[in-house]
Amino acid sequence: MTVNDTRFFAQGNVYLPHIAVIEKIVEETPGVRTYHFNFKDEKLRKEFTFQSGQFGQYSVLGTGEATFCISSSPTRPDHLEFAVQKVGRVTNALSRLGVGAEIGFRGPYGNSFPLESLKGKNLVFVGGGIGLAPLRSLIWNVIDNRDKYKKIDIVYGARTPVDLCFKYDLESWGKDKTINMVTTVDRGDDSWKGKVGVVPKILEEIAPPARDTVAIVCGPPIMIRFTFPVLEKLGFKPEQMLTTLEKRMKCGIGKCGRCNIGNLYVCKDGPVFSYAQIKDFVSSEY
Amino acid sequence: MADKKVSKKDIARLLEQWSRQFTVFAPSKESGVAAMAEWDGKDTGFLDWYRNTIIPPKASFLPQMEEMFHFQKGEEGYNIKTPPADERSRLLFGVRPCDARAMAIVDMTFKDAYEDPYYLSKRKNAVLVGLGCTNPCESCFCTSMGTNPTDQTNVDLMLIDIGDEFLIEEVTAKGKELIAKTKDLKEAAKNDEAKATQSKKTAYDRVTRKLDTEGIKDRLLASFDDKEYWEQTAAKCISCGICTLLCPTCYCFDINDEMVKQEGTRFRSWDSCGFPNYTKMPMENPRQEKWRRVRQKVCHKYEFYPMTFDVIACTGCGRCIRLCPVNWDITRVIESVPDKAEAKK
Repeated sequence: MTVNDTRFFAQGNVYLPHIAVIEKIVEETPGVRTYHFNFKDEKLRKEFTFQSGQFGQYSVLGTGEATFCISSSPTRPDHLEFAVQKVGRVTNALSRLGVGAEIGFRGPYGNSFPLESLKGKNLVFVGGGIGLAPLRSLIWNVIDNRDKYKKIDIVYGARTPVDLCFKYDLESWGKDKTINMVTTVDRGDDSWKGKVGVVPKILEEIAPPARDTVAIVCGPPIMIRFTFPVLEKLGFKPEQMLTTLEKRMKCGIGKCGRCNIGNLYVCKDGPVFSYAQIKDFVSSEY
Repeated sequence: MADKKVSKKDIARLLEQWSRQFTVFAPSKESGVAAMAEWDGKDTGFLDWYRNTIIPPKASFLPQMEEMFHFQKGEEGYNIKTPPADERSRLLFGVRPCDARAMAIVDMTFKDAYEDPYYLSKRKNAVLVGLGCTNPCESCFCTSMGTNPTDQTNVDLMLIDIGDEFLIEEVTAKGKELIAKTKDLKEAAKNDEAKATQSKKTAYDRVTRKLDTEGIKDRLLASFDDKEYWEQTAAKCISCGICTLLCPTCYCFDINDEMVKQEGTRFRSWDSCGFPNYTKMPMENPRQEKWRRVRQKVCHKYEFYPMTFDVIACTGCGRCIRLCPVNWDITRVIESVPDKAEAKK
């Protein structure tokens, strides 16, 4: 198991949140928002580090805690970001907070994308909906060290054009000549000029070669389930497919019990897994 | 040095002596159910009724509900305060070997990777005084699960019933030190050792329920997708959660906030993989169906825990069999897991 050695514990207690302040709120889609935040404690603001793929436990004190990945890149450390869809208790409470409000943060927890072993490889990012959030941390990380990686494909989709998150990023990646950016929607509208079709199908059309390539997949469970077989068909081996998973968590550190897939805990053994690690259980547990 | 022993009628005096140094916990029915409770200073009636507690002794370290911290919203923002760490030295008197083994199993999770301060601050100063069983229940199957009714492996001291007295086995350095400081103990007589051996054998032979766990990890892995088997296994379960909440090796918990006006508390409480809400996310629930939850419970104990910690997270205490309102029986379930060859995918 891999646990990040950099630990930032409030008062030495792993369960105590650090207080952080919301600095900016970005309306991504009608239900999705990105929050920019920074720690209240100046020392922590300077010393805090994390890696792409790691997550935090975010508190709206009085309502509770929820798990979200850090969606910003460690290469851009002046603030931290996370993106949420307003669907549960904590995300609803968050939606009532404005800039300047205080939230709690514990973390960073979990493993991260294996940057070292991605270097010198072609990368295929496959994302759906808000599942782009964790990929986005890695994509910016890779772009900020562009010469270390070979070809980059990004296949990203959402149900409708309105549901596309991080439109400002999609635009920026689309303009980048070193990236093949493909955006798709399940259902287009009159003004939609891009591709129409579910992500796994579009991925199959683009058919990125498997040789020397790693695919990094994140999206709703149904998209993940249908993407792996497509990648296998394209010649990807289970070890060449990475994903980052989301499960209900309470502790974030492998104690409270609920986020397991088989013997692996998404919080401490993940959230980043290779398909090889989870294929025995993924069909019926995810 | 010869072994010490203590008369059953002197147990109150012994506990009274230990109370000066420790917060003594002993079996009690004070709360309405048998549990380890803070000893009241006189009652040793449990020696007559005690077979095992209903609430396992894990509750001394992982209480059913526990405050994690207190928070207050002021003009300067939130202020978070932890309750003082509970580092009282606890002495648990009368722990059964199955439950002592269970605590060693739970320790693995709370020590793993990130240390759990609430559990470990209580656990690290604890002394476990075991009490060997003389009258195991029909539902007990400890002898199949790596322990036995008089196993001293996971306690500091072990008391073996030799009639009107208990022979005291000094197991750990902590236990030896405690006995060295304890007054008024008797020296064991020549034939006490033989009496203890007989008492152990009798207790061992009274555990008649057996479970063959040979190859269970692989059988469960092969049967993971055998939906028909799991549906059948889960059919009569009513998802009450008792078998997990009262399991001595179960440790799952929930974390919640409570806030009135500007002040609140974050607390944790026991939770169970038997409840559908346990894994429920706003958009998905990987274990909405009952058979998936029953599968999780069985596999966590007999497949996943062995994969991670190399030990089955069941000690054969039998509570889940005794206390199940619909007579669900883990031993029958484990026995009926299909062999690899028969498992349907």
